[in-house]
Amino acid sequence: MNTSLLLTSLVFLPLAGGFLLLFMGGRAQTAKITALAIALLEAALACSTWFCQGAIPSAGAPAGFFLYEDFPWIEQLGIRYILGMDGISLLLVILATVVTVIAMLVSWRSITEKITLHYLLLLAMESGIIGVFLSLDLFLFYLFWELMLIPMFFLIGIWGHGRNIYSAVKFFLYTLVGSLLMLLAIIALYLIHGAQSGMYSFSLAALLGTHFSPATGLWLYAAFLLAFAVKFPIVPLHTWLPDAHTDAPTAGSVILAGLLLKTGAYGLIRFGYPLFPEAARTLTPLLIGLAVTGIIYASWIAFAQKDMKRLVAYSSVGHMGFVALGIAVWTPVALSGALLQMLNHGLTTTALFALVGMLDERAHTRQIEDYGGLWGKIPLFSVFFVLFAMASAGLPGLNNFVGEFLVLTGSFKAAHLATILAFIGVILPLVYTVRLIQELIFQKERRTLPLSDLTLREMSVLAFLALCDIYIGMHPAPLLDILKQPVALLTGGVP
Amino acid sequence: MKLYLELIILLPLLGGISNALLGGRLFSRRSSEFVACAVIWGSCAAALTAAYSYRSPEVVEIATWLSDFDFKAPLTLYLDPLSLSLCLMITFVCGLIHLYAVGYMRDDHCYVRFFALLNLFVAAMLTLVLAENLPLLYLGWEGVGFCSYALIGFWYSDPKNATAGRKAFIVTRIGDIGLGIAIVWMFELFGTESITRLNQMGNLLPVGIVTALGLLMLLAAMGKSAQVPLMVWLPDAMAGPTPVSAQIHAATMVTAGVYLLMRMFPLIGSSTTVSAAIAITGALTAFYGATCAVAQRDLKRILAFSTISQIGYMMLGVGSGAITAATFHLLVHAFFKALLFLGAGCVITTLHHEQDIFRMGGLRHKLPGTYWPFLAGALCLAGLPLTGGFFSKDGILSAVWRTGGMLYGGLYLVGLMTAFITAVYTMRMLLVVFGGPSTPLSHQAVDGADLTENKDKRMVSGVGPLPRIMEWPLIPLALLGLGGGLLNLPEYLGGGLLHSFLAPLTGHEPTLPHATELLLQGSAAIVALAGTATAWLRYGGQRRSLRLSEAQQPARGLQAFLREGWRVDQLYDLLFVRPYVRLATLLWQRVDEGCIDDNLDRTSTQLGRFGNMLGGLGQGRVSLSLTGMAIAAALMIAWLAWMTA
Repeated sequence: MNTSLLLTSLVFLPLAGGFLLLFMGGRAQTAKITALAIALLEAALACSTWFCQGAIPSAGAPAGFFLYEDFPWIEQLGIRYILGMDGISLLLVILATVVTVIAMLVSWRSITEKITLHYLLLLAMESGIIGVFLSLDLFLFYLFWELMLIPMFFLIGIWGHGRNIYSAVKFFLYTLVGSLLMLLAIIALYLIHGAQSGMYSFSLAALLGTHFSPATGLWLYAAFLLAFAVKFPIVPLHTWLPDAHTDAPTAGSVILAGLLLKTGAYGLIRFGYPLFPEAARTLTPLLIGLAVTGIIYASWIAFAQKDMKRLVAYSSVGHMGFVALGIAVWTPVALSGALLQMLNHGLTTTALFALVGMLDERAHTRQIEDYGGLWGKIPLFSVFFVLFAMASAGLPGLNNFVGEFLVLTGSFKAAHLATILAFIGVILPLVYTVRLIQELIFQKERRTLPLSDLTLREMSVLAFLALCDIYIGMHPAPLLDILKQPVALLTGGVP
Repeated sequence: MKLYLELIILLPLLGGISNALLGGRLFSRRSSEFVACAVIWGSCAAALTAAYSYRSPEVVEIATWLSDFDFKAPLTLYLDPLSLSLCLMITFVCGLIHLYAVGYMRDDHCYVRFFALLNLFVAAMLTLVLAENLPLLYLGWEGVGFCSYALIGFWYSDPKNATAGRKAFIVTRIGDIGLGIAIVWMFELFGTESITRLNQMGNLLPVGIVTALGLLMLLAAMGKSAQVPLMVWLPDAMAGPTPVSAQIHAATMVTAGVYLLMRMFPLIGSSTTVSAAIAITGALTAFYGATCAVAQRDLKRILAFSTISQIGYMMLGVGSGAITAATFHLLVHAFFKALLFLGAGCVITTLHHEQDIFRMGGLRHKLPGTYWPFLAGALCLAGLPLTGGFFSKDGILSAVWRTGGMLYGGLYLVGLMTAFITAVYTMRMLLVVFGGPSTPLSHQAVDGADLTENKDKRMVSGVGPLPRIMEWPLIPLALLGLGGGLLNLPEYLGGGLLHSFLAPLTGHEPTLPHATELLLQGSAAIVALAGTATAWLRYGGQRRSLRLSEAQQPARGLQAFLREGWRVDQLYDLLFVRPYVRLATLLWQRVDEGCIDDNLDRTSTQLGRFGNMLGGLGQGRVSLSLTGMAIAAALMIAWLAWMTA
């Protein structure tokens, strides 16, 4: 198979497809189906890269990258067009394509206005996210980083509900402030490296060898960390998230939780730590502290929520705390656990947002106190709800447990106290989860609501996610094997 | 052997999955029930075959599970005398309970969910018992916890049941923090999670670390086995259907904590502090449970507190280093306590879900098929001479005596006192429920005027005779309970079967001289008889009706204190539950939204104004000013970076 432009087509296929949609403005149904077809094609393409792992990379590819494309772009400034795929990118790209398909399917009926634009934005966002996961040139990375921001802003602003304009602007500003600082840091990095080596370049591989004084490194790293921490989100920079999630349409929440949060963690793994190893080590205690605080703090707050979408949003912050902990300690087991946890969180939280969206779509309320006794009314929905809620609470045998457990195992050696606190944080999700299950699924109906059980479309989406959850929970070995080499290269562990 | 072990776990698992997927659709009710029971008995047959071909401890690797760099936790099973005896007991007792459940659930239309969960529970429990590494054990450990949660709240529309399930899940999970930390810590210390290898490494460590590990595991055992101070969930767990109480909350899951400590005893037992802590926890719990049981008037709550108390005895045995005695009591207790629960289920079903013992009576004549097996179970629980319960409880008390010293001497006395109370509450229960004249209670119930709070949503169709399938599982359990002593006879009667079977595991456990042994057994017998006599003096014959009329008055003083389980629930509510809930709201509204978010919002507004000022023209373009703000901040950072470069 000729893989020379596979990555480029991965990045730009959705965008090109979105361009196609422009010509279908009026015919919403056709546009919808075309968009889904493109997303499915993209997913198939992403899955096909699974079989390229044995491929011999083109010359100049850094170790671990089995697909690699490198072309000069703006030569005067040393900007290159570099895409590369290693095990980490592979899994995240597959996740991105899958979550996009799911986002389209769950909003199939609930979007009734500006349908074409909605799907166009979803496709554009997919391109941006995949670009982030594949670029190895910092300038290109920054471009994609901003590209994925804009569609989300419109998704929340146009199809959101509640205080959607406020939430959209808030989301935009938070991330923009972070990423502008990162842009400056990127430019500073470029200049420092250029001054040192005489070769001006934005390529990650070239920049990796740059030397800084500790203070400079710290400042530059802080700027990167800020940008990533906002996306992550790391407490106390998380307050945009509950608002954005609550007011976003279902597809927006799904992409936000399933993918956008992952870009922060990915950026830290791919760029933050490798570029500034010393600064990262200096700030490790801070990051560990914030991660553990986040786990406990957000899970605790989740318990008090009355709006179930907000509850899932806070739970999301708590779960990402485990990812932050795994990255912060930077040991092989913890890092691969964190990466797996990113995937798991993407699957499980996606499912939970989809489920909440399905309820909202039927009964037009997200208040927990309006529901009750769903098991008797919509049993299929309830089975899936309990399954994903349990996965999210870290029940062994389901996926989230594997990631969390590996993170905790890997971080114990590096940070005893933090890990012990994180273990306490493990039971807090159970507390709000069983409360949510009890009030929603168990007990008696509290209001007569027009609820019907899952349609075939909804069921196939959830069944697919459920199978993924169980498969990863019981047999994570293939995924961990893929992560082994890149993680070993990053952390210096022995695979 | 690999095949047998796989079958032991896979059969219940497949049964549960197939019932969950096909039950109610492809399966008729009969075939659902048949599948659910057949897989357990199939698993039991596999366990028997494994026992037949068992020669020496075996480690069997089935598949990989968690494997990442140097961390390895495959799906590996370990068959040794301890896990084998538990497997046999679990599959057999659960098999009988499944049959019983067919009768018990005959009018419930949610039978699919019930049998699927009941099967999955057995699969998880067997995984827990057979696991060769700690993460796999943890998988089973949490799996049984989930099934227990779902089955306690099985009749979910009553908030009380759902809350009880939630409480059980959360409280046991608090204990699991200990197990989780112990697991990752042991990996750091030894680089392995294999139980067999960990158990060889105890002497490589300073005793302080062993003690800490042991205490962490004790915490886990406290949660799962309902030991003081984490025992509060078990009495409430009785909200589940009675077969669930028998299977999960008497015979199998609640003994998992004891099993964990026995499994890891070679590692943690080398610390005397840990042993003492286990023994003290056990003795305290045994006493606590027994005192509470005396004051209960709900039949199932009596049995629940009694279970707490009896597991306390097992812990006391483990804490005295008597693994054989603890295992012995675990097995015998599983037989007679399952029997008592199933018998109670028969009584409760006949009486239209009446659970108040003071509204029962005369059932000796009405339910002879339940009465005789129940009597056998009560004799075992009371520890009357020559029953299985007598020998197994005595084994533990002898071991405590043998350990000697001030502490264990005191614990022995607590154990003996508890044995007395045990006989009292057991006989009280027996005399009140089955004794006396045939009261008009059942007529009350038929009138539909019954005031029980525990009525569930099942449709009960008339008094009707009990289905046979609910009565005959009691018989083998009664025989096993009564004759359980034969499993492990005292030394002077020729020595114990179990003792020699477990010998490779426990090493040589010292035995007492025959005379001392006889003396100890004599005193245990006297205590049990004294307790029985006390109960008779209070509740026997004519005095029973006197107590019944007394019971019309609300409980006061000590009685109320004991009935409410020493008011521990209220205490925890005050200390933990309410602050947790309050703080959650406080953190959310005051800290998260009120402080962090609000300040950031205000900062951005201020910066926006500042941007406007800089803009000077007062056009008020938000985007412009905010960009200006961001760029200004960025320039500051960049400037600092350059200055320090």
